[in-house]
Amino acid sequence: MSFSAWLELLASGLITGGIYALVALGLNLQYGLMRILNIAHGEFLMVGAYLTWMVQTQFGLSPLWMIPLSFALLMLLGLAIHWLCFRRLTATSPNLDVFEARGLMVAFGLMFLIQNAVSAIWGGELRGYDYMTDPVAMGGAQFAANKLLVFFMALLFSLALMVLLRKTLLGKGVRALMQSPAGAQLVGINTRTLHPLMFGIGLGLSGLAGCLLSMAYTISPAMGEPYTVTALIVITLGGFGSMGGALAGGLLLGVIEAIGMHFTNPSLKALLSYVVFIGVLLFRPKGLFAK
Amino acid sequence: MTTRRQVIQGAAALSAVSIAPGLRAQDKPVRIGYAMARTGPWTGGAQVSQEPNYLLWAEQMNAAGGLDVKGVRRRIELISSDDRSDVETCVRTYEKLMGSDKVDLVLPPWGSNANFAVAPLANRFGYPFLAPTALSRRLVEMKLPYFFLLLQQPQPMTQALVDMFKANGVKTMACIYVDDLFGLENYAALKVALQGSGIQLVEDKSYPGGVKDLSPVLRSIKDKNPDAFVGFTYPPDTILASKQAKEVGFNPKFFYASVGTAFQLYRNVMTPAGAEGVLGMGSWNAKTSPGAKAYFDAHTQKFGGKEPDRWASGHCWAGLEILTNAVRQVGLDRKAIRDYVANTTHKTIIGEVKFTGSENTATPGTVSQWQNGEFEVVWPPKLATAKLNSNKPVWK
Repeated sequence: MSFSAWLELLASGLITGGIYALVALGLNLQYGLMRILNIAHGEFLMVGAYLTWMVQTQFGLSPLWMIPLSFALLMLLGLAIHWLCFRRLTATSPNLDVFEARGLMVAFGLMFLIQNAVSAIWGGELRGYDYMTDPVAMGGAQFAANKLLVFFMALLFSLALMVLLRKTLLGKGVRALMQSPAGAQLVGINTRTLHPLMFGIGLGLSGLAGCLLSMAYTISPAMGEPYTVTALIVITLGGFGSMGGALAGGLLLGVIEAIGMHFTNPSLKALLSYVVFIGVLLFRPKGLFAK
Repeated sequence: MTTRRQVIQGAAALSAVSIAPGLRAQDKPVRIGYAMARTGPWTGGAQVSQEPNYLLWAEQMNAAGGLDVKGVRRRIELISSDDRSDVETCVRTYEKLMGSDKVDLVLPPWGSNANFAVAPLANRFGYPFLAPTALSRRLVEMKLPYFFLLLQQPQPMTQALVDMFKANGVKTMACIYVDDLFGLENYAALKVALQGSGIQLVEDKSYPGGVKDLSPVLRSIKDKNPDAFVGFTYPPDTILASKQAKEVGFNPKFFYASVGTAFQLYRNVMTPAGAEGVLGMGSWNAKTSPGAKAYFDAHTQKFGGKEPDRWASGHCWAGLEILTNAVRQVGLDRKAIRDYVANTTHKTIIGEVKFTGSENTATPGTVSQWQNGEFEVVWPPKLATAKLNSNKPVWK
């Protein structure tokens, strides 16, 4: 195989991996911080994709505008959902394990609710639009412009989130909460504002991912679920609560899949993902990047 | 205290009441049941090729005073529910419709898998089943007397494709196929059709449904530079393969994909210029017949600009035409309907339809191509609505 063919293969894996990472980061924020295993995470991604599609086809607005907008809208939705569902659960659950189990049930409910609401509003058909599909040549290889945009945006937002968590006081508080919830509360970190905020940011990221995905793929109300599953694999790879791990894990999974598909068969993709998943669970149960 | 006599009197009065509506049989609607995917992964196909046609048909019939049952107009009452793209739900719904609700007729669900599960049941209950969206040799081989397949099956479809390639000097071909019943059967039929054709298959790979990245496969196919690319694909993958072929600069002289190329969505997503020259599974368009034009226009008008697809939608409508004629001729006796369907050569918007066993053997295999924003039938020449462009322009 020539050098440029390798380059193309790796790059296409990284592009897919970038999306995985972005979706996984949002889920990781919710699970790592609050132990909300948000099974409906992919559904919010789907909402972001539909909003972008609607704005693009109905009002002719560029999908680029929807990058900040879908983040903001989904974040607001996240705040509302946290206030309606999870705030109450936190107050009534006797301990974190019970909260996690109940949260999972609530998330399942949300999944059905959102998927069917979108079906009711926009119908169940496949949708899509044409945006930035012209190929861009880079060093002997070429990629669709929208895919490159998706990749750089995914990277940008992942890094921004990591900087936010590492360098700011807010981030310090969040990390403290992840390490020791009781300890963090003792030193005066307010979970009542931090939790909804982080839940909102998590959904915002998934809305953003949906917005980016709608540029490159067709969308349907059932599109979200596979991303939730992949995100779960990625955060297991990277370690629960580890943002850097989720980013690296996402990119790694994308590359493994691309190379595996090239040398074997695309039909074995799911097998590859799950072999990696099971392997990590067996040999590095705390994640590949756990110290 | 209620005496026995009072009970008997009451019972007599009740039965008199229940007989009364029977006397006004003309006013009783014809109850027609079906299950359809409104949520889940089948929705994309079901809500383009199938359910809109059922709704349009019932509306048109009712606007004309109802379905003509041997000369008596009776309103159509559709009894439908969402099967959630789930075979189990689908089977249970039809069991209820035919077993306990005892509807007058049923219409089929969407897709090969659902039909595969429901067809034997319909056969057991003796309900004629005219399936517009089922594609499988095995459904034919089950030899169910009440089951009829309107769509052309893999063998004639792939044979037509290979004939067209041969006539246009194709020497090499690459194929990808989705690894389910649909993809596997078409791939097998293609292999048979290729025997002795002189066309060499330089690459063949399967992929799973819901795939998100086909570019590694398309890149390796591009390196082998085949004259023709054939994909036995479902709508999301049809679009994915097209977009990614453009992305990696893979532009063979013939680019063929399957389900979804005939959809309006394909043109919307790829733009008319981007779709130009793409081949796919299609069998009719508004130019095929005056009836097809009338149907196309009525559909587009009812659903606010939503066009029927240029393949299964036409077959679905043809099935409804056949059913309408059958009920007009023989009424709602389901055995008589079956015999009428099985033994008549039907004139429909897609041309003549005749069944040999379960299979529609009057409609030959066809190939269509996007040209100037319309999906034109280009093969075989006698059904063509436009001439084949044998050199696909570069993706735009």
